[in-house]
Amino acid sequence: MIHLDNVSWRRGKKDSAPVLAHLSFMVPQGGFRWLLGPSGAGKSSLLSLLHLENLPTDGQMTILGKTVTQEEKRAALVRLRQRIGMVHQDYQLMPDLSVADNVALPLRLQNRPEDEIQDEVHAILKWVGLGSRTDVPANRLSGGEQQRTAIARAIIHRPGLILADEPTNALEESQSCRLLDMFAELSAMGTTVVVATHNESLVRRLERPFLFLEHGRLVDDGGEQP
Amino acid sequence: MTRPFSGRKDGLSLSEALPDRSLFMLVAMMGFLAALALAGASGARALSARWSGGAAQLLTIQVPEADTPLPTPNDTSTTRVQAVLADLASLPDGAQVHRLTPPELARLLEPWLGETDNTALPLPAIIRVRLPPDTSVPDTLEQALNAHVPGTIVEHNARWGERLRALANSLLACAGLALLSVGGIATMITGLATRTGLATRKDIIKTLHGLGASDSYIAGRFAWRTATLGFGGGLSGTLAACLPLLLLLQMAAPFASTPLATTERLLPVDWQALANTIPSDMALALALLPFVAAFICWFTTQVMVRLWLLRLP
Repeated sequence: MIHLDNVSWRRGKKDSAPVLAHLSFMVPQGGFRWLLGPSGAGKSSLLSLLHLENLPTDGQMTILGKTVTQEEKRAALVRLRQRIGMVHQDYQLMPDLSVADNVALPLRLQNRPEDEIQDEVHAILKWVGLGSRTDVPANRLSGGEQQRTAIARAIIHRPGLILADEPTNALEESQSCRLLDMFAELSAMGTTVVVATHNESLVRRLERPFLFLEHGRLVDDGGEQP
Repeated sequence: MTRPFSGRKDGLSLSEALPDRSLFMLVAMMGFLAALALAGASGARALSARWSGGAAQLLTIQVPEADTPLPTPNDTSTTRVQAVLADLASLPDGAQVHRLTPPELARLLEPWLGETDNTALPLPAIIRVRLPPDTSVPDTLEQALNAHVPGTIVEHNARWGERLRALANSLLACAGLALLSVGGIATMITGLATRTGLATRKDIIKTLHGLGASDSYIAGRFAWRTATLGFGGGLSGTLAACLPLLLLLQMAAPFASTPLATTERLLPVDWQALANTIPSDMALALALLPFVAAFICWFTTQVMVRLWLLRLP
């Protein structure tokens, strides 16, 4: 679950204007939230905060039951980050690695046995429709294939929290629908999911509570108070 | 096409990110210099030990016209050298008095005169006296010998031994400073190479960090790579230094405490003779050099990468 209590985040100096200001909301375990708002509202910044790429400068943030502060030990952050799956807008794949090696990365970083890794990777790549592209280097994939690889990498280790930044913007509609079904399924299985998107038809297709950001402030928390 | 699961596990591809050849070559050069400095330090230490130990208790006496009879009123059959040897009998108990034999004298002079027959030269007799520890030569010895056998020269090693020991100690300090400098330069080179690697792989490291890679994992990957290069460079540098060291040993052989019989024995290499000549502490230090180079590279890289990673939360 996610719980933010009056959280702000500033980039750089302490007296600079906050990028995210006084955010308070809660997403229960297995909850699904759309993250909506105009460009520059702070959606990606909020996802970075939830992914622990940045830490709150004010307020209290609890992720997967762990309260995170500026003073948090690095090892604890690493362990927590391993329980989060993130799909970045720019995919952040390793260009020289094959699709299979890219997807295997989170499991390898957790020192899982290699035969187990290979079984898991083949299964998930088949599921996202890349079963025949396992050995292709990531830099030779189309935009849609890169996005699906990034999604497979984000969910292969069955994280407790999945964060996705515009995960469908390079996908065809059928693939987007399939992805939505998968997120809904993961949510139903107890994984907390937060998806930032501009795609209104997608939001209409899967009616779930949303968080609406504007100028770094939460103007609608989807009705659930912390 | 690549295999689905290649050996490149995490995309860091450090063999391409780090300036491998430069690091290897520079560490090899540092290893070469360090090996020479170590040899110098070992030699200086041996000299210092020798001059502060046994050599100070040595006395060398030269008797010119050694076999000329000494003009005495009673007995004309005593030669000058015999007279000196007789006088030396009064030295403290335990003193070892030895007149160098012609072959020993020839070997002593070999570095200067070569292996030529020097029997025609008017060489003085050389008497080597080794005094027992904690004893000293009577101050009047030279005076007394000269009164009895005019022209006798007494060389007290202890007189100039102190100066030589000071010289050896300063050489030892210089070798130590050279080693420190080499270590410092190796650290700087490794630091620069690591920084280059970090700059090249900045985005990939950030992605790995985001996927949950620990600082230990990332620093370990870089450190293992530089340590491998450092070991290879250190080993190459040490091996490259062996040739000049061999030549130096060959040149120093006549002055060594356990001299090689002849210079020809080294070329082709007589390994047994060489093994006897190389001080064991120097051999050990040379053997450890690649490991020390690897450790310097590993440690420097660990520190550099971990400091860099502190930028990331």
